[in-house]
Amino acid sequence: MGQVALTHVTKKFGNLPAVADVSLVVEDAEFLVLLGPSGCGKSTLLRMIAGLEDVTEGVIEIDQKMVNEVEPKDRDLAMVFQSYALYPHLTVRRNIEFPLRTRKVGRSERKRLVADAAEALGLSELLDRKPAQLSGGQRQRVALGRAIVRQPKAFLLDEPLSNLDAKLRVQTRAELVALQRRLKTTMIYVTHDQVEAMTMGQRVAILRDGVLQQVAPPAEVYDRPANAFVAGFIGTPPMNLFDAVVDGGTVNVGNSRLPLGELWNTPAGEYTAGIRPEHLTIIGADPGDGALRGTVEFVESLGHERHVHVRSDCGAILVVRHSSHLAIPVPSELVGLHVATNCIHIFDKATGDRFGGTDS
Amino acid sequence: MARILKKRIREAFLAYVLLAPSFVVFAIFVFYPFLKNIEIPFYSHTGCRGFGVNRVCAEEFVGFSVWREILASNEFAHSLWVTLKFTFLTVPAGIGLGLVLAVIAHARLRGITIYRTIFSSTVATSAAVASVIFFSLMNPRAGIWRLHIDGIPILEHPTWALPAVAVVATWQSLGLAFIVMSSGLQALPDEVLEAAAIDGAGPFRRFARVTLPLMGPILFFAFVVGSISAFKTFAEIDLLTPGGGTSDSTKVLAYGVYEAGFASGDQVRAAVFATGLFICVLLLTLAQLRLERRVKYAR
Repeated sequence: MGQVALTHVTKKFGNLPAVADVSLVVEDAEFLVLLGPSGCGKSTLLRMIAGLEDVTEGVIEIDQKMVNEVEPKDRDLAMVFQSYALYPHLTVRRNIEFPLRTRKVGRSERKRLVADAAEALGLSELLDRKPAQLSGGQRQRVALGRAIVRQPKAFLLDEPLSNLDAKLRVQTRAELVALQRRLKTTMIYVTHDQVEAMTMGQRVAILRDGVLQQVAPPAEVYDRPANAFVAGFIGTPPMNLFDAVVDGGTVNVGNSRLPLGELWNTPAGEYTAGIRPEHLTIIGADPGDGALRGTVEFVESLGHERHVHVRSDCGAILVVRHSSHLAIPVPSELVGLHVATNCIHIFDKATGDRFGGTDS
Repeated sequence: MARILKKRIREAFLAYVLLAPSFVVFAIFVFYPFLKNIEIPFYSHTGCRGFGVNRVCAEEFVGFSVWREILASNEFAHSLWVTLKFTFLTVPAGIGLGLVLAVIAHARLRGITIYRTIFSSTVATSAAVASVIFFSLMNPRAGIWRLHIDGIPILEHPTWALPAVAVVATWQSLGLAFIVMSSGLQALPDEVLEAAAIDGAGPFRRFARVTLPLMGPILFFAFVVGSISAFKTFAEIDLLTPGGGTSDSTKVLAYGVYEAGFASGDQVRAAVFATGLFICVLLLTLAQLRLERRVKYAR
C-alpha cells in the first residue's frame, strides 16, 4: 500500500505562502505528476511529503497515518533528487546499498537486492566506480537504483530528468514509466516540463503560485482545462486565448461571429475565449460568417508542421498548427481561420475559471 | 615567426620587471637569511674577537660534523619529542572541538548568530593576550584556577605544564578551527544529507557516514595547518613557562631556536634547530600535497 493524502496543506516561509491549501489524494500504485512553472511550490510540496519541510497547516497522511511529525527516515519513502544527491565518497554499490544498511538488512540479502537493482538499471558493470567517474545518465540511474533497491511506500522524484540531454531524457522517460508499471509503487513526480507530465502521469496535478489548479488525467487536462492558466500552460504551442463577447449563442471576435455549439447557453457577457492551434484551419481570405479573419505575421517551420502566427481582426495574435504538406502562407497574406466545431473554450474573464465543457 | 618570438621576449621581459620588486624583497628578507642559516653550521668559528657587530671570527669549514653532533644530541631529540607531544595534544583537540562547535552552530536555532560570534571570537585574540589571560587565571597566588598537582603549580609541573600550555593554545586557535569547520559544513550539499535522511539514516549515522567523510578534505587541511602552527608555537610557551618549563618540559623546537640563538648566543645551534624545524614543516607540507588527492573526491 502507498496512498498519500494531503488535506488543506499550506506551507509558509515567513509570511510568504509557498503552498496554499492543497488537498490531494495520490492513490496506491498511481503515477501522479506535479506540474507547474518554476517557483509554483511543487518541489516544496514534494519535500513536505518527504518530511524535509515542516507543514505550516494541514495534514499529510501516508496509508491513512498522519506523518506531519514523523521523521523522513521513518516515512518509508524513497526520493530521487534533481542533482541526484549521490554520496560522492561511496562507490555505486555502496550508494545503492546505503538505504539497506541503515535499515540493517543482512549482508547476503543486501548483496542480492543490490545485484537485482543494478541489473534492472544496467549498472552491474559500474558497481565499483565512484559517482565522479559516471556520466550524467549513469548517475541518474544510480539515484534511481538507490530508490528502487527496497520497496518503499512511494517514490518521490524531483525533476530527475532535467539534467539529462534531450535524447536521453526521452529514453529515460519511457524507462521510468515501465519501471513504475513493473514495481506497481506509488510515484509522485515533480516537473516543469509538460511533455514529461503528459506522457508519464496517470494524473497530472497543476500548481500555480502554490495553489492547485487542476488534478486530472493528461487528456482531460488538455481537452478540458479547468481555467485559463491551465489552458495556456498545457500544450505546445499553447492555447490561443483572447478577449471575446458572448451573445446569443455566438462568440463575437472583432467582426466575426463564431457559433458556440454545445456552449450555446453561455450567458451573454465578456469572457476570455480559447482555441487550440490545431483547431484552427487556414482557409480563403473571404471565409464568410462563422470564421475568423486575419493577416499572416510570420511562419515557424518545425519540419513536420508549421506554426502560422496570424493577427486576427480583433487584434490578438493566433497561432495555427499548419500541416507541412499544405501550401505555406506568406507574411501579410489575408487569411480566413475556420474553427472546428465545439472547440471553443470559454473562461470567466475575472477568475479565469472554465465555463461549461467542450469535448474535442 | 620572428615577430611572435619578439613579442614573447617582450612579454617575458615585462613579467620579470614586474616580478623584480617582490623578488628583491624576498631575496633580502627570506632567501639570503635562509641560505645563510644553512651555511653557518658548516663553519667553525674560532678565535673570535670583539662584541656585537664588531665581532670577528676565523672561519674553518667543518662539513656536516656540527649538524651530526647537534641533530643527534639529546637536546634536539627532547625538543622534537616535546614538539610532537604538543602537536598531538593541540591539533586533534582543536579540530574535534572546532567541529563540535561548528555542528552546534550549524543548527537552525533561534539566536544562533550570537553563539557563532562567541565561538569565533578567539580569532581576534592574539597568542600573547590569550597567554596573559590564562597566566593570570592560573597564577598560583592570585588566579581563579590555582591548580596544583603534587603540590606544584601546574605551569611549573614537569609533566602537566605542557598539557596546560596545550589547553591555552587550543583555546586560542579554536576560533579559527570553528570558522574553518563551519565553512566546510556550509559547503556540504544539503541534498546529499537530505537523501541520507530519507534513506533511513538518523542524525548520528548521517554525521558519521556522510558529513564526516564529506568533510575529509577540510579535516585534512585543518590537520596540516594546525600541525604546522603547532610546530611553530613559541609565544604561549615563552609567556606561560618562561625558560621552557621545569626540566625543559615545554621546550619545543621553536623555543629551542630562541633559547639557543638569543638566550645562549649560540648561533650555530640556533641555525641547526631552525633548519630542523624547517625540515619538519616541509615534510608536513609535502605530506599534505601527497595525501591531498586521496582525501579529495569530485562532486
